[in-house]
Amino acid sequence: MIRMRHVWPIATNTVREAIRNKVLYALLFFAVGVIGVAVVIASLSYVEGQRIIQDIGLASIRLFSLGIAVFVGVGLIHGEVERRTIYTILSKPLSRSEFLVGKYLGLLMTVWLQLACMMIAFVAVSLATGAPLSGGHVAALGLLGMELVVIVALATFFSAFTSPLLASLFTLGIWGAGHLSRDLYALGQQSGNESFAGASTWMYRLLPDLEAFNVSVQAVHGLPIATSELTLPILYAVGYAVALLIAAGWIFQGRDLK
Amino acid sequence: MRNDLKPNQPLSEAQRPDDFRSRKAIRRAWRRRGLAGLAFCCALALVGVVQAQIPPLTRADRGEAFVPDPSIIERITLGFDAVLSDYYWLVAIQAVGGSAAVDANAGGHVGQLIDVVTTLNPWVGHPYRFAAVWLTESEENVRTANRLLERGINHHPEEWRNRFYLGFNLFYYLMEYESAAEQIQAASGLPGAPAYLPRLVARLRSETAEIDVAEAFLIELVQGTDDPVLQEGYRAGLDEIEIERKARFLDEARKIYRDRRGQDIATVESLREGPNPVLVGLPSPEPDSLPVALSRQSRWLLDDEQDEIVSSFYGSRYRLHFDAVSRAKANGWAAARQEGTLHAEERGSL
Amino acid sequence: MRENGDAVVEVLDLIKDYRPGFGLRRKRILHGVSFSVQRGEIYGFVGPNGAGKTTTLKALMGLIQASGGQARILGCDVSENDFREHIGFLPENPYFYGYLTAREILDFYARLSGLDGQRRCRRVPELLEWVGLGEASESRLRTFSKGMLQRVGIAQALVHDPEVVFLDEPMSGLDPIGRKEIRDVILRLKSEGKTVFMNTHILSDVETICDRVAIIVEGRIRYEGRIEDFLHEDDLMSDVVLSYLPPELGEILEAKFGARVRGVGGRIELRVREKQVSQLLRLGLEAGAEVVSVTPHRVSLEKIFLEAVSTSSSHLIRNESARKGERS
Ligand SMILES: Nc1ncnc2c1ncn2[C@@H]1O[C@H](COP(=O)(O)OP(=O)(O)O)[C@@H](O)[C@H]1O
Ligand SMILES: [Mg+2]
Repeated sequence: MIRMRHVWPIATNTVREAIRNKVLYALLFFAVGVIGVAVVIASLSYVEGQRIIQDIGLASIRLFSLGIAVFVGVGLIHGEVERRTIYTILSKPLSRSEFLVGKYLGLLMTVWLQLACMMIAFVAVSLATGAPLSGGHVAALGLLGMELVVIVALATFFSAFTSPLLASLFTLGIWGAGHLSRDLYALGQQSGNESFAGASTWMYRLLPDLEAFNVSVQAVHGLPIATSELTLPILYAVGYAVALLIAAGWIFQGRDLK
Repeated sequence: MRNDLKPNQPLSEAQRPDDFRSRKAIRRAWRRRGLAGLAFCCALALVGVVQAQIPPLTRADRGEAFVPDPSIIERITLGFDAVLSDYYWLVAIQAVGGSAAVDANAGGHVGQLIDVVTTLNPWVGHPYRFAAVWLTESEENVRTANRLLERGINHHPEEWRNRFYLGFNLFYYLMEYESAAEQIQAASGLPGAPAYLPRLVARLRSETAEIDVAEAFLIELVQGTDDPVLQEGYRAGLDEIEIERKARFLDEARKIYRDRRGQDIATVESLREGPNPVLVGLPSPEPDSLPVALSRQSRWLLDDEQDEIVSSFYGSRYRLHFDAVSRAKANGWAAARQEGTLHAEERGSL
Repeated sequence: MRENGDAVVEVLDLIKDYRPGFGLRRKRILHGVSFSVQRGEIYGFVGPNGAGKTTTLKALMGLIQASGGQARILGCDVSENDFREHIGFLPENPYFYGYLTAREILDFYARLSGLDGQRRCRRVPELLEWVGLGEASESRLRTFSKGMLQRVGIAQALVHDPEVVFLDEPMSGLDPIGRKEIRDVILRLKSEGKTVFMNTHILSDVETICDRVAIIVEGRIRYEGRIEDFLHEDDLMSDVVLSYLPPELGEILEAKFGARVRGVGGRIELRVREKQVSQLLRLGLEAGAEVVSVTPHRVSLEKIFLEAVSTSSSHLIRNESARKGERS
């Protein structure tokens, strides 16, 4: 059972840790800077500059929130074990799973907070350059937030049993594979090879389908986004993250804390 | 601290404590500082000189301009399609650069780039027309441009300009008047299409197409866009038509010369030489719109191989040839294009 | 074994194996450790470095999983969570989030322990004052010295007023004043009826405050019992320091009590049997000497400890059973 009264202090404390971490401010500052620099880059093109500004803005938001999620996430559990701060925490009446979920929610809130800051910069740059803003942008950034639900869960999962270096490699690897999984699936279907098709189907099912969270092109071009394109990814993200956290809990439960 | 000294009174030479540094020591310190400054300047100069030796070649300059296969890059963008598309768009703009014309090779390069751009993000608008304007140097180029335009038409069915450009290409380079007329007709029904399109359709259908039609097309195109780069492209086309008209005028003069003298001209200059010259003066071999500063001192030449009068400004006659040889060639293009279309349909790529 | 009337900690045949590295052979760290701690006592878990004290405690705290055996606290298996509302734990060389202040971290632990806002507001400053961190309550922990961290560790272990407190080397690395303060804290807990389980490799800590001890060497309990049980009546010695003792009296005392006399001048130190202390003091005082101090010297604890550490296991088991046989 996961009890909120145990999870919440861990989560809020994780947010507090991030707020007091200078490196994150540097990253955030950098991200906002890139969104600003988009204006300069876009001026290289004599047409459709506003579109390029928004493309770059959304891409850098994606990239930096991924970076922050992985950067913080991979050391999330491992650091606590390594520095033995976890000893006293686990001697309190909370379970390891509650600790894990608390850390996860804390990091997720942190990343969302940063996402919100970058969104503000994005909106400011869009307004300043007269680029159109629409519900599509809200949808794109919201779905990005849902993609982060999965990414942070991945980082937490790996952090529960490997070193930060390995965890970041795994997380980034799965992030990449998750964006390719649809193509892998298509490749398998086209190959005509039974076993390869089967394997690629399994890979597609197993890996997170991160392309489902990517509607930034539609957003920038003002193309319609169906309701199911929003609701299904949200459900998907929540389900995937819950599954990952449960698995992480199982692994973490059996671990000896050195 | 010595108590017997009043504050703010400078010490006389005699009063100075022994440990005050001697003039010599001060001089030495300054010399040290000077040396350090000198060394710093030398280092800076060295950096400057060395850097000047290193050619600031971009990858494209080194001939390493690599354009990825769109079908592959499409699979590995990791969700950054739009930004990568923008990147290749900026590369394409750089590739065209300030050059007034793009040769067939460069055209192929630009075509690949725009293919990547529009594969990664088919909802872009302008790059399709960009390709149409710049990919004109060979049949291959034009065909690529047309494929891209068709992709644009698929993704922007309401956009009349893509159809208009496609029609223009079909007429202007491929001499497919009927297909061209179809495209222009389709364009004329779309929102925002200019009123002159039906007139163009009529002229195309009447098979009276000539460089007059081309000129009309181009003049309309120049007026129809605010884009300076595009305008420049159309103006270049109009300039070529202008030179072509002059060349045709010289052809006439040459015929008269032959009739009169019973022999062909030795050089183009012959037309205004000797007693009773055919022409009083030669028209300028350069476009009238060319600023004097950019003049290349072009001359009219007699191209022995082709046996035709050309301006050294272009080195050859206008591409839209209407003589028998060129017509045969154009028919060849058309046949090849037919195949190409079939080919494309088989691939199902567009 | 003793009657298990009110045991708050019961450990039975606890085994722990570690794999030192991937693919290496398992190494047994705990070879079937058994002991129990009664309510209200201060229990000393003593052993040299590397004996397995911390390993045992980590197993009790559920930080590692035992490879065999059982461990129960307050009647609950240690793999459960809820009973931990009633226990506190101070790890060895505790480390805390450096970005929090002392007050914030205690508040954090108090929240985890389920204290509501009102109780936290009362308890946290009170505890900070109690462990001597009142001044430093608003400083970030990353600026704290080892001794201050140890105090934070004590405070977090006590923040929810637990019934049983587990302390791993609570006095290591502290200066004498710090040690005394921690000792006072432990005694105060006892006076409040709490149970204290304490790991240490420092014998004097055990002698002065523990009610019962277990000696663990190389993952095996060598001895367990009340401090007094370690000692034969005859073994109980005390060190008496007297001043202004007439020299001739010293010789008399030495002859009469078989006391070993050390010291020169005005102060001498005598080691005598505990039973004879009062007699000695009477004689000394009558002769006009002043008593400087009387300290019980539990020679046999140290003896047992050294013996346990230095001799082979078979020898020790024989020794121990012989001792038990002697007593019964
Ligand atoms: N994670 C571990 N992996 C392998 N060996 C360990 C591990 N932790 C402790 N040990 C070994 O267990 C033994 C007991 O350690 P410990 O319980 O810390 O001793 P102490 O009594 O000093 O607290 C030591 O020999 C130590 O090397
Ligand atoms: Mg230890």
